Amino acid sequence: MSAFDYTGVPVPIPEDIADAHRRFWERLASQGCWWTGAERVAIAAEVRRAADCALCRERKSALSPETPPGEHDRAGDLLPDAAVDAIHRVTTDPGRLSKSWYEKTQAAGLGDAHYVELIGILVALVSVDGFHRGLGISLEPLPEPVPGEPSRYRPAGARMEQAWVPMIAKPSGDEADLWKGITGNVIRALSLVPDAVRQLKELSTVHYVAVEKVADPSAGRTLSRAQMELIAGRVSALNECFY
Amino acid sequence: MTDRSAAAGSGIPHAEALVTFAEAVVGGDELQVATARQVLLDAVGPEALVDAAAVAANFERMDRIADATGIPLDAPMDLLTADLRSELGIDSFASSVNSPASGALKRALAPLLRPLGLRVLKIVARRIARQNAS
Repeated sequence: MSAFDYTGVPVPIPEDIADAHRRFWERLASQGCWWTGAERVAIAAEVRRAADCALCRERKSALSPETPPGEHDRAGDLLPDAAVDAIHRVTTDPGRLSKSWYEKTQAAGLGDAHYVELIGILVALVSVDGFHRGLGISLEPLPEPVPGEPSRYRPAGARMEQAWVPMIAKPSGDEADLWKGITGNVIRALSLVPDAVRQLKELSTVHYVAVEKVADPSAGRTLSRAQMELIAGRVSALNECFY
Repeated sequence: MTDRSAAAGSGIPHAEALVTFAEAVVGGDELQVATARQVLLDAVGPEALVDAAAVAANFERMDRIADATGIPLDAPMDLLTADLRSELGIDSFASSVNSPASGALKRALAPLLRPLGLRVLKIVARRIARQNAS
């Protein structure tokens, strides 16, 4: 049976959503720019484990996201501690991340590009799993990793601006497909790992509207755009997302 | 949407069911999600329920990208929403420190510029649509 077989699900899942989820699964299992396939699947496993992490639960209700001290309930030993902490924090308490916390992950040896690729995997998985959870569909078992070495590709145009991570300002050359003209910072945010932006665009197109059509208020789905924005606004408020 | 009670007065069809579903997906247990899902299914039908799950999933993703990378608000949005953010309490979110604070001038200008900004947004959307079509 192929991944994301939605036959038998009591609501109609559009084929473009199933296809996008399958493509993400294939990319998840393969080597990326900075992590191997095994490490990428381990990142995904850690995202799922974070939901049941006792330390994350305690910290989420604590006054400071740094307390109490302790160790996360880990899914495995393949990833460095800084990566595990980043995965758990971003998954369970994204609204209280800070620049000083990010700098600690860097001081602990997690490179900026490793971090960005990790975030790209994490956010894609959170959305795919969230879609399943919302519809009462069992989570897809994680894929078997494919052997291969990361490309270690770093786009020459990525520069530090106001964000914590370097970003591309104006894509060109191999990155020319990422966006045309001016785009939002949230699209540029993962551009240190261009494939993460491509992944984001593909999932956004099937889950919401194509990135190029976000500014068009008439772009909607079966739900009207106003209904979609109501959901978007409530989710973002609950996540305490300023952006 | 920081105040869920505003859903009822929004004039948006099925706002209450949509907001309840969004809340369940973000922080609810399985029973809350199942209950909210059934209410929404009865209200809007299966295709729109799938849309709702997809949109909620999308913003679970986008919020984390923004918060995990420390990006500031885009300049036009910063300018056009300065007063609203303060009014809605969004300025008190921890991730607000990633964007420059809005002064009194910006907050005063925002409501004056907003109608113009919306018009510009429509023009930009039309231009993008033309670009995509050609």
